[in-house]
Amino acid sequence: MSAVSASRTTAALAVENLEVAYTVRGIDRAVLRGVSFSIAPGEAYGLVGESGCGKSTTAYAALRYLPRNGKIVRGRVLVGGDDVTGMNTSQLQRFRATEASMVYQDPAQAMNPSVKIGRQLIESFTLLGQSKPVAAKSALDALRRVRIADPVRVMDRYPFQLSGGMQQRVVIAMALACDPKLLVLDEPTTGLDATVEAEVLDLVRVLREESNAAVLLIAHNLGIIRSLCDRVGVMYAGRIVEEGPSHQVFDDPQHPYTVGLLRSLPRHGVRKTERALATIPGILPLIGTDLPTCVFVDRCPLADDLCRDEVPPAAPVGTEGLRFTRCHHPDRIHELVQAPPDVPIGILSSSGANPEVLELTHVSKTFRQRNVNIPALVDVNLQLAEGETLGIVGESGSGKSTLAKTILGIESADSGGAVSLDGHTVAPNTTGRSANDKRAMQMVFQNPDSALNRSWSVRRILMRSVEKLTGIKGDEANARVEALAAHLRLTPRHLDLKPRQLSGGLKQRVAIARAFAGDPRIVVCDEPTSALDVSVQAAILNLLADLQSEEKTSYVFITHDMGVVRYLADRIAVMYLGRIQEVGPTDDVFNGPNHPYTEALLSAIPSVDGEPTSRIRLEGEIPSPANPPSGCVFHPRCPRVIPGVCEVSEPPLREVAPGHAMRCHIPIEQLVELQRKPLTV
Amino acid sequence: MSEFDEPVPAPGEIVSTPGADVLVPSTTIRATAIPPTTPAETELSGVVQFSERKQARRENWRLIRRRPAFIVGVFIVLVWTSCAMLGDKITPHDPFKPSSSTHLSPSAKYPFGTDSIGRDVLSRVMVGARDVIKVAPLGALLGVLFGVIIGMVMGYFGGWLDNVLSRIVEAFLSLPVVLVALLAITTLGSSTWVVIGVVSALFTPVVARTVRSAVLAERDLDYVTSAKLRGESSAFVMFKEILPNVSGPIIVELTVRVGYAVFTVATLSFLGAGPQPPSPDWGVQVSDGFRVISASIWWTTFFPAAAIASLVIAVNLIADSVQSVLEAS
Repeated sequence: MSAVSASRTTAALAVENLEVAYTVRGIDRAVLRGVSFSIAPGEAYGLVGESGCGKSTTAYAALRYLPRNGKIVRGRVLVGGDDVTGMNTSQLQRFRATEASMVYQDPAQAMNPSVKIGRQLIESFTLLGQSKPVAAKSALDALRRVRIADPVRVMDRYPFQLSGGMQQRVVIAMALACDPKLLVLDEPTTGLDATVEAEVLDLVRVLREESNAAVLLIAHNLGIIRSLCDRVGVMYAGRIVEEGPSHQVFDDPQHPYTVGLLRSLPRHGVRKTERALATIPGILPLIGTDLPTCVFVDRCPLADDLCRDEVPPAAPVGTEGLRFTRCHHPDRIHELVQAPPDVPIGILSSSGANPEVLELTHVSKTFRQRNVNIPALVDVNLQLAEGETLGIVGESGSGKSTLAKTILGIESADSGGAVSLDGHTVAPNTTGRSANDKRAMQMVFQNPDSALNRSWSVRRILMRSVEKLTGIKGDEANARVEALAAHLRLTPRHLDLKPRQLSGGLKQRVAIARAFAGDPRIVVCDEPTSALDVSVQAAILNLLADLQSEEKTSYVFITHDMGVVRYLADRIAVMYLGRIQEVGPTDDVFNGPNHPYTEALLSAIPSVDGEPTSRIRLEGEIPSPANPPSGCVFHPRCPRVIPGVCEVSEPPLREVAPGHAMRCHIPIEQLVELQRKPLTV
Repeated sequence: MSEFDEPVPAPGEIVSTPGADVLVPSTTIRATAIPPTTPAETELSGVVQFSERKQARRENWRLIRRRPAFIVGVFIVLVWTSCAMLGDKITPHDPFKPSSSTHLSPSAKYPFGTDSIGRDVLSRVMVGARDVIKVAPLGALLGVLFGVIIGMVMGYFGGWLDNVLSRIVEAFLSLPVVLVALLAITTLGSSTWVVIGVVSALFTPVVARTVRSAVLAERDLDYVTSAKLRGESSAFVMFKEILPNVSGPIIVELTVRVGYAVFTVATLSFLGAGPQPPSPDWGVQVSDGFRVISASIWWTTFFPAAAIASLVIAVNLIADSVQSVLEAS
């Protein structure tokens, strides 16, 4: 694995002092402010940074694929020694067809939805000059290459008939059709589940070894970069502020921004009871801002006059010449790296001591579609104590969101089950619930853009919720809105803005403020930070934890991020196919022994710390809930399946330790034994 | 705990969405023409922020006004409106008074010629917009109003209600427009209000379908769920929460429908369902002159027909401008 920067002529990709601007309202606004890096053949290079820092622009510029209003102002891009910036249209076309490929975030959008997979794949080979029969054979080979089971049948399917992971494999197969020198992956796994993500990353890793393509990987997930890339460039406001071998950069960051990014992640099993997460104060400079300074100066705790006056040069780190940092004060980085003050966010007593707020007993939810019953929730029993956070994890399609909706009454539970609030059973449907019951349960949604009415001002959004939920009107309500906003650290200025004028983090604060408008007992949070950058995520998680310790609110916290759930949750429930497979205190769930499904989920997370994890690969996909497997629903994918037992009967939810229960046939002693040694499948 | 303050982008500034990075869609160039505001300015003046929506509206308005198509359209509409309003005060001749000089071809005295009983065609064309200019916008407006209500109900509730209403709407759309209109007018009489009612009834299904599809895209957004969670009524959700977010397509629909309405009204009067002779209504004039066109007396038909065409085109020019600006923003 070569970590040495290749020279210009031999590099698969060499970006030299690239400056890109977007023309917005007639003015050129700088987005990339002199980006330089190179990738050797066969090397994988990662770009990380917050959204808006220019990662994707760099990737698109590398293929000369900028949007219409974007242009390369200065600098060069060389792919395999050829200057991409100077190519004319036909050269560019040939270059894109034969030299470089790109894989996008959303595989569904990268394929033509009305053309069968086979035809689309064959087309990418006929474009290379192959005859139809040869191309058909190549297409099949390409599918085999990306490890698609039963490629012949897949050729005959439409994109929508494939799962997200399969789609992304097909897109990767198309991207590899021309055997490119450069493969650009732009957030290739962002829309996928952790287990599928792990599979796709494995695939990319294997393919890298098979071909000699250089990989440029754009990701906001530092763990992915670490697990896949030889070297990493940390981008901020259109400059690479730090570069070096991934493990060195992540283990020993040498730029204040990298330090900030890494510290805002919930890592090393930190819990809310131990300390608040670090955030990065301040904001990313707007595009087009003139920055003859250190780009990070406004948010840097080390900034002084030198940083404000001069662009820091790339200062080498270490003696091997593999790393640099664009910081004037690399000698003072250690001041930042020191652990932040361990200020716990409120001490919450253990769940047993607090009164129970919510109880689900035998809650099931069956959807009916075209005369087929689809059980989305099957006999869910859960309790939630006051001030407690219950984390719900599981792959998409596991019933997490249906559970949330059923608790809130957006979907009515099947008869026979009951949702109880403070000891009384509430109506299954929101409309049937009393004003007090509605007030007691509110929700924070995943995407604040969709959750806030874009034509309402923040004040109106909050006002309406205060009035409707508390019955307070007029000036009093307004006073409450202002108090609420202040509590969520929104300024009065924000109240008169429309959601689209706010950044993602601020929008999510408004959404949280709305949920808290009527002093709820329970707030259901559906992936509230998955659309946010890590530093903003940290601030939102801190805020949620603060609010909880002050208001004694209980959270049902749905997430796919194991780090987040470990930080925030007191107890965790793991769902699969509408059933709770394991539930227990957070520490127990993370320390094991686990249900094999939990075990697989936990092992799928790419860690930024690069801890050696023995991976358990889950074969196949979540089965359709309309036609669940016999016996234990997880048995077809379970790496520890006991033949003759698991497919016969469904195991009960058995308590294995106080408060820790799981649904598995394997005796707990045996599970402890099995999970002590890493499993390799 | 380190705290942070998040940005408030300048008015019209692009807030990049997570994952999308800063790929600014090129359409935003057209959409906004606000002079760039530096972050410092924005921070200082809350007023700029407060009037942001008004400003966006002003900016859109300014963009519309800059379009030549819009200017031409408005000019033509204004010409016909003032002609209709001022009427015989500005006509060169009495539009109703017959004279002995029948069927004179266009000349200096009678630029558009005279008709079969010697009336000045120019004067008649000038006052002939009276009915159309009242009836067409009102008919379109009412049609859009009913269409919005029905489309909103269809889109929001969905299910069997949507199914039933959709079938009714489709049934309506499959009937020949002119036939239905003629039938209604011959049964109910040809008063102005009946014509307005007929035009609006003809447009309601079309508008309903447009609104329905716009509402379908909105009703599954989380802000609607949130409204339900706090116990809002369906009417509130539909008309206070969703309606402002679908106002763009509704405004476009309205302007487009006015153009169609002009055409429909003219067609109806041409067929005799509407104002009756001696009304100078354009449709009536065309229908009058139509009979003598074979005798090479083209001007009694051509000028009122051209007037109809000019008004329809003018309204469509306005509609196009409004549409392209609203869709870009």
